[in-house]
Amino acid sequence: MFEFFDQPEVIKVIVSAGSMFLFSIGLFGLLSYKHIIKTFMSIAIMEISIFLLFIGLTFKRDAVAPIIDSTHMDVSIMNDPIPHAMILTAIVIGMAVLALGTSFAIEYYKLTGNINIDEMNSMRY
Amino acid sequence: MNIKRELPTTTLSGFALSGLLVVTILNILLQNMPKEIYSAGDALLKLNETEGVANAVTTVVVFFRGFDTLGEIAVLFIASLGIGLMLHSNTHCNIKAESNFMLQTASKLLFPIILLFGIYVMVYGHLSPGGGFQGGVIIASAILLLLISDKSFEIPHSIIITLETFAGVSYVLIGLIGLLILDTFLGNFLPHNISQMGLLLSGGIIPLIYIIVGIKVGSEMSMIVQNIIKRSDDV
Repeated sequence: MFEFFDQPEVIKVIVSAGSMFLFSIGLFGLLSYKHIIKTFMSIAIMEISIFLLFIGLTFKRDAVAPIIDSTHMDVSIMNDPIPHAMILTAIVIGMAVLALGTSFAIEYYKLTGNINIDEMNSMRY
Repeated sequence: MNIKRELPTTTLSGFALSGLLVVTILNILLQNMPKEIYSAGDALLKLNETEGVANAVTTVVVFFRGFDTLGEIAVLFIASLGIGLMLHSNTHCNIKAESNFMLQTASKLLFPIILLFGIYVMVYGHLSPGGGFQGGVIIASAILLLLISDKSFEIPHSIIITLETFAGVSYVLIGLIGLLILDTFLGNFLPHNISQMGLLLSGGIIPLIYIIVGIKVGSEMSMIVQNIIKRSDDV
């Protein structure tokens, strides 16, 4: 019944369309909300969509995880380890940026009592 | 009195803009989609056997991209430093409510188990899914459990500073020893044989470096969590 979805082209189309839909949700939140914590949440959603795109585009249905042991010695049926390593880096960097931005927002709110990004013009005047 | 509601132009234009952008990107992605995505992954998987490490992702993160991982740890350290500068205060706990009996008892029961699991994930990073980053975050979650259950609990700064300095210095030192012996930064100078693949003591410096990364990530994440929970809240 679901053989149609097992084709690699269909999987790639589904992955790219789904991750771009998630990206659009994040972009819409970034453009339409003024609350700074919601802005950071939208950025996190956009990041996650890019992670899904990277992992999903190199997904092979019959491949196994790239861990060599006594039962899995053939490297030709293994998944590509490079996107996993890159996304591991990207997750850590995204977490650091999110935590630092949130702490900036907390400190800014303590100083000015303001969370609206339209009114964050203290440097201008 | 204005009864007629205004059209939400900002929302509509944001919706239209993001939709347009997504359709454009999707169009580019699908039109240039190759039948088979070729990458350097297969070549790296073949090279992976020469290092004697079972987990290929670990080899890529720690060995082939070891210098980038050093930079990544530096980024995490700078984020931790910034949060510490922003929110540092050891005056009082920010959580107002008293934690109940269940949480206090369960945290005493669960803390050693979570800590042990984090150390297991960290040490077996070259054999199974996991590694230094994941194990460090698990250890930080154990610290978070203690922090929310006991208001007076606090990690001493001296321990964090010692662990972090030890991890950072030994990462660079291992890289420099590799530079001296093998003429490459982070060269694998310890014995690594393919016949030992799958054993705990295999892969030369790769498990050592992942344990160091785990110590550093664990201490930095614990410090971030403690700074956010124990921040001063006097507006």
